[in-house]
Amino acid sequence: MSRPRDHIATPLTAANEDIASEAQRWESETRAPYVRKHPERRDPFLTQALRWPIRPLYTPADLAACGFDYLKDLGFPGQYPYTRGTQPNGHRSKLWTMTQVTGFGKGEDWARRARYMLEQGLQGLILEHDLPTTNGYDSDDPLVEGEVGRAGMALDSLEDLERALDLPFEKLKYLMSVCNAPQPVNLAMIIAALEKKGVDPRNFVLHIVNGILIEYTCVGRYIYPPVHGLRIATDCIEYIIRNHPNWAPISIISAQLQPAKANPVQELAFSMAIAMAYIDATLLRGFDIDTLAPYFHFVVNVDMDFFEGICKLRAYRKIWARLMKERYGASRPEALKICMMTSPTTIALTLQQPLNNIGRLAIMATACALGGAGENMTTPLHDEAHALPAEDAIRVGAALQHIVAHESGVAETIDPLAGSYYVETLTKQIEDAAMAEIDKITRMGGALRAIESGYFQQALGREQYERNKDLEEGRRKWVGVNHLVLPGEQRQIEIFRADQRMEEEQVARLRALRARRDNAAVARALEAVRAAAREGTNLVPPCLAAVKVYATHGELCNAMREVFGVHTPDSQLTGV
Amino acid sequence: MPEAPARPLRILLAKLGMDTHTVGITVVAHALRQAGMEVIFSGLKQTPEAVASAAIQEDVDVVGVSSLSAGHTRNLPRLARLLRERGAGDKLLLAGGVIPPEDVPLLQEAGFARIFTMGTDTREIIAYLERWWAGKLTAESTPA
Repeated sequence: MSRPRDHIATPLTAANEDIASEAQRWESETRAPYVRKHPERRDPFLTQALRWPIRPLYTPADLAACGFDYLKDLGFPGQYPYTRGTQPNGHRSKLWTMTQVTGFGKGEDWARRARYMLEQGLQGLILEHDLPTTNGYDSDDPLVEGEVGRAGMALDSLEDLERALDLPFEKLKYLMSVCNAPQPVNLAMIIAALEKKGVDPRNFVLHIVNGILIEYTCVGRYIYPPVHGLRIATDCIEYIIRNHPNWAPISIISAQLQPAKANPVQELAFSMAIAMAYIDATLLRGFDIDTLAPYFHFVVNVDMDFFEGICKLRAYRKIWARLMKERYGASRPEALKICMMTSPTTIALTLQQPLNNIGRLAIMATACALGGAGENMTTPLHDEAHALPAEDAIRVGAALQHIVAHESGVAETIDPLAGSYYVETLTKQIEDAAMAEIDKITRMGGALRAIESGYFQQALGREQYERNKDLEEGRRKWVGVNHLVLPGEQRQIEIFRADQRMEEEQVARLRALRARRDNAAVARALEAVRAAAREGTNLVPPCLAAVKVYATHGELCNAMREVFGVHTPDSQLTGV
Repeated sequence: MPEAPARPLRILLAKLGMDTHTVGITVVAHALRQAGMEVIFSGLKQTPEAVASAAIQEDVDVVGVSSLSAGHTRNLPRLARLLRERGAGDKLLLAGGVIPPEDVPLLQEAGFARIFTMGTDTREIIAYLERWWAGKLTAESTPA
């Protein structure tokens, strides 16, 4: 079990001394006799993910014991270290932006659905690709049979993207794309498609997640060895900042570490160490930290432990600010203020008794709001675990954030939980433990080394095992799963069955393209990509040239496979 | 307490195709190791051919496949067939993950002895394997 770090207590003031001795008296004269008659429900009481002991009562003495200092640790909203929020007026001037992820698009349906969403007034869309694409294969690769167009859109060539982006760009202002391992190929295809559509890139924001280091850590959609993965990501960051400075080249999806059971300390430390690896690599390309840091986005989940979630979000803001200032010497406020989107986690939701999930989502969304919410909050839907969300679920999901924002009162004053003895103690403990873990990773050589040695993966593997044991052995009660179980409840899981015809059509189209295009030009373009891969020059320009002569996604990924090799981690490097 | 078996059970845990969900297989791997079994992991994005070869090379007693995508109806029977064709049909085949009840008969017919769906208690898997292993060891030590 991890433990909060010990602290050198700041000297107790006279008032705190009084409180501490009174608290002791209360403990021995009032609480202890009561507990002897009424034994506690749990022994010990622990936080959900960190499994840190929770004291029965927190007082100013606890704040003193963890070295809490109002001006140093909290300050004021919109000011360093931003613990109380990056916005000077909290949510009183402007609420967070409320968004919702609604299922996936697949195949050519994507453009149709995207047009529909734009007609509903949305200005931004997320482009999700299928697994063959995110793992760097063409649709006709034998390894990917049955997976084409399933979890997202199939992307083999620029032609597919031209069809998908057949959209009213006067309405579409923001497109987010998740395609991490083959990022330069994906980026090149989007840029080429936008060019063909005549879209002014200055009037449009492309947001690429570009999150390969988290893929190695827990998601698994990698292609090349980590060192090359990092180089590829850095090429994309550099290309975007130099050519499209209004675009978003990098996001740290901490929300992928959380479902892999990273506890708040691991999640914060691994996310920050990963951000630092991208920062270090990009600084070497000649940028300064004040220019670079504002390009980083974080997406952070909260789980059901209300206070762990709230304190984690507060610690995120503070740790980013501290790292940027103390480690990198950043000074612009934009570089010190974390840019964050928050979300209730889907892993707290159950297949069993799905309506219960509305209650869970309300608690987690309230925690997000109390933790500061970030610029954006997105909420999953209560029936998401089953299948494609029903219309009712979409409506309830949209209403949920409005209920939190307008009915609960939590957004009416800035950072209302500040000063809570428990919240400030836990925030500080999480911050201190995360900073210690970041130092440990730095001493190891940073996030890249931590991935190459399997440190991150093994830490998460152990956590996954321990957390599952908590559930199996009943230390964690989960309604519908191991508590208040409905006897005989049938769990409905719908698995999306691939439309075989769609896969066949996609493959036929790809083969027709290969027969029709200028194959000599493709061969030359692929050789240029290999050369860039070998020589260390930026991969985006040769990928852009190659996609324009209709080299395919899989061919381009293969050209880089020939130079970089492939990542084939064993038990040690997967944590399994 | 039953006597500790002479040699620990060896199991290959495998992921096939593009399905990269590993939380379930990780929990199972750790639990089986804690129970004294030798666990080998195939790595991600494997073909049935590669997993069959690994099972034979590593001389495992059991092959357990985790599947959280729709690929199980195609990949799992293929793995079972490959193992039989290569004379390794005596290995116990198990599957786990998100497998709809209507697909269970298909997998059982293909040769999978047991399907552990999502949410199965790891102690249930361990008990099942220990029973099977004890039976197999007894059968092996009994002169024909």
